[in-house]
Amino acid sequence: MSVPESTAASVRRVRTFVSTTARPTTERERERRRIAIMCLPFFALATVAGFVPLAMLVRMSVAADAVWIEGWSLDAWRTLLTEPTYRRVAWNTVWFVGLATIVSVVLGVAVAHALERYDLPFERAVVAAVSFPIALPGIIVAILVIAMLGRQGLVTNAIAAVTGTSAIDLASATAITGLFLGYVYSLVPRATMVLRGTYAEVNTQAEEAARSLGASRWETFYHVTLPEIRPGIAAATILTFRSGLAIFGTVLLLQSHHVVTLQIQREISVGTYRPDVAAAIGLVYVVFIVAFTFVGLRFVRTDTVAI
Amino acid sequence: MSEVTLESLTKRYGDELAVDGIDLTIRDGEILGIVGPSGCGKTTTLRTIAGFETPTHGRVRFDGVDVTHVPPEERHVGLVFQSYALFDTMTVRENVAFGLKMRDVPRRERRERAGALLEMLDISALADRRPTTLSGGQQQRVGLARALAIEPHVLLLDEPMTGLDAALKTRLRTAIRDLLSDLGVTAIYVTHDQEEAMAMCDRIAVLNAGTVEQVGTPSAIYRRPANAFVANFIGNSTLLTGVAADGRVDLGFAELEVAAATDGTVTVAVRPEAFEFEREGPINAEVTSATYLGDRTQLTATLPDETTVALHADAAETYRTGETVSLSIDDTSVHVLE
Repeated sequence: MSVPESTAASVRRVRTFVSTTARPTTERERERRRIAIMCLPFFALATVAGFVPLAMLVRMSVAADAVWIEGWSLDAWRTLLTEPTYRRVAWNTVWFVGLATIVSVVLGVAVAHALERYDLPFERAVVAAVSFPIALPGIIVAILVIAMLGRQGLVTNAIAAVTGTSAIDLASATAITGLFLGYVYSLVPRATMVLRGTYAEVNTQAEEAARSLGASRWETFYHVTLPEIRPGIAAATILTFRSGLAIFGTVLLLQSHHVVTLQIQREISVGTYRPDVAAAIGLVYVVFIVAFTFVGLRFVRTDTVAI
Repeated sequence: MSEVTLESLTKRYGDELAVDGIDLTIRDGEILGIVGPSGCGKTTTLRTIAGFETPTHGRVRFDGVDVTHVPPEERHVGLVFQSYALFDTMTVRENVAFGLKMRDVPRRERRERAGALLEMLDISALADRRPTTLSGGQQQRVGLARALAIEPHVLLLDEPMTGLDAALKTRLRTAIRDLLSDLGVTAIYVTHDQEEAMAMCDRIAVLNAGTVEQVGTPSAIYRRPANAFVANFIGNSTLLTGVAADGRVDLGFAELEVAAATDGTVTVAVRPEAFEFEREGPINAEVTSATYLGDRTQLTATLPDETTVALHADAAETYRTGETVSLSIDDTSVHVLE
């Protein structure tokens, strides 16, 4: 008897909750209604643009006919688990984006430190220069890399002129180093923006106290600043890594390293059209990102940094 | 501990002159208070001594050695901040031992010395706590222990009591003063609280607009202010104009037996407590406001020449606005400004 009673009580509580939110009488209920009004549009959008397509992906990945989404089959998942190509793609993606993330966050710490700790001349121009790659499409970043490091690239030809080496031998735009530079260039602003916010919270007097106690600038950074910005570094790492995983335009043009976004594109290209495998890869990708974010958030103090 | 000398110390930020040619010596083992209104240059002076600012002109010397261009980490200066500025990611003991660690003092010795300081400041029970879990007074003690741990040439305290409640402030300032005296630490104590400076310091330097107006013992500063600024900034003074001649100053409505350096028109600083309430006094003043402060009643009154004066009256008496009070001035408590 207790189970139906508790179910009935729960239903009553939910009904009360909904009715008081719709017609609030206390300030707490009015606050709840304001929160509902503010959040509902996003969740409506997320349902249409995120949750429903995600459910579609699940269905596609187990469909015998992924085009018309009919029948049931685990072929896509079997392919994903058994063909070595996909394991290689996963590993390629993780190490490449991981390394680009580490380099970007290190550079981001340096830039954020410079921007927040010192009165820089033309600071606004510096901020604009650091942040503008966020707005660049990946394809444009790839073109910039080619313009610098391609066979006719500025840097390639400058080095060729100085060293006497052939520009064709030196060109690295479509080598993995060119792609890596493109990734880092796109990711540094994301890391920097998060870290600037963290740096603004750092207790500068604690840093001065450390120096008066005999710590050099580096020791002060290591013992005092770094522990304080650690949550920001964790947040920047999560954001940067997630952004790095999603880069597509740059790798599509430069094609020097086989990562997950490029593989998804290949799965849905004419000739190798396998939407069920693409859907399965997409699902693995989403689950990985969600899990990574949850694990990463354990290292982030949510009251100081938001992602 | 060291003697600290500031020679023509000047600090300019663009067009703004923060410190304007200060000459000051802080004797070995003394506690010198630096007081002054906001923006008078006291914190800039302190930061220059610590090495966080390089003076535009002038020199800083420790025991005669020029340290003007020595970086902060090599100056051996202890700093105590108003905001405590503790290392929140370390325990109290690690905070106190930090300076020793930077000096490569072996771990065991670090622990012992930090423990002794925590004991001295009566906070050894907090050794393994994080600073964020401590009260303001406890945090300030940790800050002091941390600064003292390196046995600094000079200890700089920048408004260390601001933000603490009145009772704690009184307790802590006695504890700090006694501790610094026992250790013989040369200390510079910056505060905007003149009462705190008087209670804590051997001498006080009064700063105004980047210059030193007067340096002296608390008693000398209070009883013999060098000028109108000091007379008004340290305590409460009424400045009266009179004519000096033959060892007397004629105020028009009363005459004081007080010698002035020169005859002619002079300014006399009169503290509230120099006014004595009489049944039949030579001066009549009209009360314009009365504020009960517990231990006394603070009155403002208008003298016959329309000057407004501050008076300290017996708290047991009741005064009303518009009432006339009869006063005399204690000649020995007034000071003729030069």
